[in-house]
Amino acid sequence: MKAVLGFLSLNAEILYWIFVAPWRGKAGLNFSHAFTQMVRIGVQAVPMTALTSFSIGLTLAMQAAQELSKMGATAYVPDLVSISLLRELGPLLVGVVVIGRSGSAVTAELGTMKVSEEIEALEVMSINPVRFLVLPRFVAMMIMLPVLTVFGNYIGFVGGWSICHFALGMNTGGFITRIIASADPMDLYSGVVKSFVFAWLIGTISCLKGLSVKGGAEGVGLSTTSSVVTSIISMLVANAILTAAFFFTE
Amino acid sequence: MSTDTKEASADEGPIIEVTDLVRKFGDRTVLNGVSFKVYRGETIIIMGGSGCGKSTLLRHIIGSLKPTSGSIKMFGDEVTTMTPPELEKLRLRFGMNFQFGALMQSMTVGENVALPLLENSRVDPEIVELVVKMKLELVGLTGFENLKPSEISGGMRKRVGLARAVAMDPELLFSDEPTSGLDPIMTAVIDQLTIDLTQKLHMTAVIVTHDMVSAFRIGSRMLVLGAGQRAGMVIAWGTPDEIRHHPDPEVQQFIKGEPDGPVPLKLSPEDYIIRLLGHDRDKGLSY
Repeated sequence: MKAVLGFLSLNAEILYWIFVAPWRGKAGLNFSHAFTQMVRIGVQAVPMTALTSFSIGLTLAMQAAQELSKMGATAYVPDLVSISLLRELGPLLVGVVVIGRSGSAVTAELGTMKVSEEIEALEVMSINPVRFLVLPRFVAMMIMLPVLTVFGNYIGFVGGWSICHFALGMNTGGFITRIIASADPMDLYSGVVKSFVFAWLIGTISCLKGLSVKGGAEGVGLSTTSSVVTSIISMLVANAILTAAFFFTE
Repeated sequence: MSTDTKEASADEGPIIEVTDLVRKFGDRTVLNGVSFKVYRGETIIIMGGSGCGKSTLLRHIIGSLKPTSGSIKMFGDEVTTMTPPELEKLRLRFGMNFQFGALMQSMTVGENVALPLLENSRVDPEIVELVVKMKLELVGLTGFENLKPSEISGGMRKRVGLARAVAMDPELLFSDEPTSGLDPIMTAVIDQLTIDLTQKLHMTAVIVTHDMVSAFRIGSRMLVLGAGQRAGMVIAWGTPDEIRHHPDPEVQQFIKGEPDGPVPLKLSPEDYIIRLLGHDRDKGLSY
């Protein structure tokens, strides 16, 4: 119950600093800090996202080819790769990469700041820690996770293409045509909507866990583990709910 | 600080008024009925044994902790019932130097000192740069602007913390053990800086320290917190002369740094057994 209240309270504070504070003459988002976080959360995650997405695209195409070849329908391999990546695996895998790479780092960083009195020092200097520390990380997560997801989708297609082209002998034009024909914009939008929701969950959970660290190094470790576990579970639950919502509304 | 503020000092009321402050953590009473007043321009020294509640008292005054009961007034306003926005406004009027510096590890020394200025004022960045150099010069750290806190010593970090605490030229300075870990010359420099800030600029200082030489050098009044049976209670409060000649043997033991006295070096055999086993020897062991 306390954790839920803390989560809601942090969300209310984030909304206040984004939408209300700037209109009341208060300092809002520090763009320089947000840009730094966008580089850390987004740009620096590009190689890992690319590797993960490429390998998943590759695997999906191989598995699809194995089953579809029994029915002589290997021409439909690009369809399966595109739908799976755009709707489900793309957002989920990139979410897991960002949780492991950046969510844990955010929790550990804020937690260490908490135990070394840096957050108390900010408060004593009349600098709101949510505005100064949480807001740039949250905004960076909200922008970069969807961008990484779209990027990951395209790299996944490249993985699928490499199997279709080199193993199944499909030409590149044919592969692209099948991808475009099979996936409609809603597939892409649903994946991007999911990635926004995942970004919101990862951003708030990792910051909340960091700010609520108690004790010393052990507390930081426990909170980081808890942050990763909670983020993954929340993301999976949110994914199921969103998939159901898209499924029943279509 | 304006000239008007400087002139209005002794006649105005206390700028800090702590009344019957009690703080309990579970069954343990850390602060027990602490009361004192601080007037503008004074340097108040808070002393007492390790773990007696000095830093806890400081954290209550700056509004980081809420007391179990009692009142803390700063500049006439009740701190204990303030909302976060009210606390933010109040905190612009004082600076706090933390025991271990509490510097932002991701920022350089210069950025740390500039932080309150950049975040709380609309001063031109060139002026901020100048102020940073002035404040670092005050604490003897000119030329260290571009180093990270992890690249300087613990004593240097403390001095950067002090420079950051006075960056906004606050009316009131809180300092938690500002000279521990510093060499005697740098201790004297920090003491002189505190004297200059309080005497020339009428800044008020509340300082927690164990350093007796420093305490008697800079303190205008002193408060001693008790240990043992009188843990968390004010056992002495007065000018340095009054404290130096205080009749309480615990105060004398503390200021003279004697190993044995009212705070015993060793427990009596009976007390030792009770503390070790959690019960009286005559009752036998429970296992």
